[in-house]
Amino acid sequence: MSGLKVDRDLVLHVAKLASLRLSDADTTRLASELARIVQYVEQLEELDTKDVPPTAHVALDRTPLRADDVRPGLSREDALAQAPRADQGGFAVPTFLE
Amino acid sequence: MSDGVIDIAERVRTGAVSAETAVSQALRRLTALNSDLHAFLHTAQDQALEAARAVDAKVARGDDPGILAGVPIAIKDAICTRGLPSTAGSRILENYVPPYDATVIENLRAAGAVVIGKTNMDEFAMGSSNENSAYGPVRNPWDLERAPGGSSGGSAAAVAARIVPCSLGSDTGGSIRQPASLTGTVGIKPTYGRVSRYGLIAFASSLDQIGPFATDVRGAARVLKVLAGHDLRDSTSLDVPVSDFEAACGRSIKGLRIGVAAEYFGEGLDPEVEASVRAAIADLQAEGCIVRPVSLPHTRYAIATYYVLATAEASSNLARFDGVRYGLRVDEGDARRDLRAMYGATREAGFGTEVKRRIVLGTFVLSAGYYDAYYLKAQRVRTLIRRDFEAAFREVEVICCPTSPTPAFRLGERVDDPLAMYLSDVYSVPASLAGIPAMSIPCAPTRSGLPVGLQIAARPLDEDSMLAVASAWETRSPARSLVPPMATRSID
Repeated sequence: MSGLKVDRDLVLHVAKLASLRLSDADTTRLASELARIVQYVEQLEELDTKDVPPTAHVALDRTPLRADDVRPGLSREDALAQAPRADQGGFAVPTFLE
Repeated sequence: MSDGVIDIAERVRTGAVSAETAVSQALRRLTALNSDLHAFLHTAQDQALEAARAVDAKVARGDDPGILAGVPIAIKDAICTRGLPSTAGSRILENYVPPYDATVIENLRAAGAVVIGKTNMDEFAMGSSNENSAYGPVRNPWDLERAPGGSSGGSAAAVAARIVPCSLGSDTGGSIRQPASLTGTVGIKPTYGRVSRYGLIAFASSLDQIGPFATDVRGAARVLKVLAGHDLRDSTSLDVPVSDFEAACGRSIKGLRIGVAAEYFGEGLDPEVEASVRAAIADLQAEGCIVRPVSLPHTRYAIATYYVLATAEASSNLARFDGVRYGLRVDEGDARRDLRAMYGATREAGFGTEVKRRIVLGTFVLSAGYYDAYYLKAQRVRTLIRRDFEAAFREVEVICCPTSPTPAFRLGERVDDPLAMYLSDVYSVPASLAGIPAMSIPCAPTRSGLPVGLQIAARPLDEDSMLAVASAWETRSPARSLVPPMATRSID
């Protein structure tokens, strides 16, 4: 991926994927910082890894599933207590369907 | 100056001192020293005194009050505590009060420990200096102009200043070990899976592990014993026997093999740190350990690997902060009528600079077109780093090296250079990627009196060997009885 251009457009594209609004100043600053970090990360390309399996997690072989039993959880009241807006026993959000 | 974990617990258990007295003293020290240190974000005055009196009532009745009876403890603000704010150092959780306790908190309470407050930290544990806290940095008790390290800087400073004999931190790439090194405290990152992460506000789930800070090795071992064990609420917590970590302290180290890797004594290592760590290793050799060279050839790729994987996982974990279920919501203007605009505005206002930087980097490495080149590549290199350790641990029981390449640096010194800050973790990140236990323990300080940490790493689940070496070193360490001047300040 060397030669990749990390610019404002790429930062804005990624920020949109992450549901993150950025100011103009932040976008410009992030573009230059990320360009440096991505350049640093590209040293991984020196290594031949085509026959090396990926490690997603060090102990996936040791995490058996538990029995699917019903256990006590948070009450509705507790679960809603921290919500910025709650309404009719649920989390209230702005309209997302017309 | 207060006593260690074991002293307090044993005196409370025998009724020689009340838990209320021990906890009141910690609360007074907190109040007296926190304006200088800014180590605590919240104090649990009433809850703590009530819990202490409940311990005293158990002692009076002749019930077992637990192996941490009356021990005051400080908790990193990323760990959920019922009825006590848990902000993770972020504006987005400024008013969040969890409706439940993390598993480690349940375990501590059951063992008689008393939570006296929540400690300051880099926002969402992203940082190595505590300067990324939304609430202002913690100061290092050894020199208030210097950083205590991060991200668990508040928990480290609270122990270093002897406000509490122990505290909890979390370590993703060094966030317990590096601040322990910079503040002259003992800090343990257990094997990945030793301790339940249920109730830890997640940064990078395949790396995060909760662990203790303490003033001494045996105290840290006792706290670790209380934290460890399988938990049905965290499928990655390992269902394996928990050994008696305290008994491992004091075990003979004669004939035990210590690996020393040239890759951990390279460019960028402060000469005084190198001299101190090498002297400690020579001393352990004089005690009967066998010192052998080992090779960890992929060490130089660890930081790049880590910053791809940790930010990728963080970008996913932090998607939950969207202004709906808890925390901040910004819904002015457009955001009042448009869900996506509300998400964007909330996250822009709620997250700080470093968190935004990592969300953007993490989302980038996971995005279509870049996933294989960055994320999958880093996962493959993670395997190479694990294999390095597997090979080394066929030759030796533990590996000794510096915890941090430098002693505590000045506040402000690295804030403008994210990459330089990331390189602060060069010696702590590899053990995180491999999931192995590692700890930091003080060795000889620098000429100007700043603490230096010796890092000891061991095979997965072999905390016992690590603790045996640490406790043997502790009895010989020139840093053994050193405390910062503020720790002896009279508060009455």
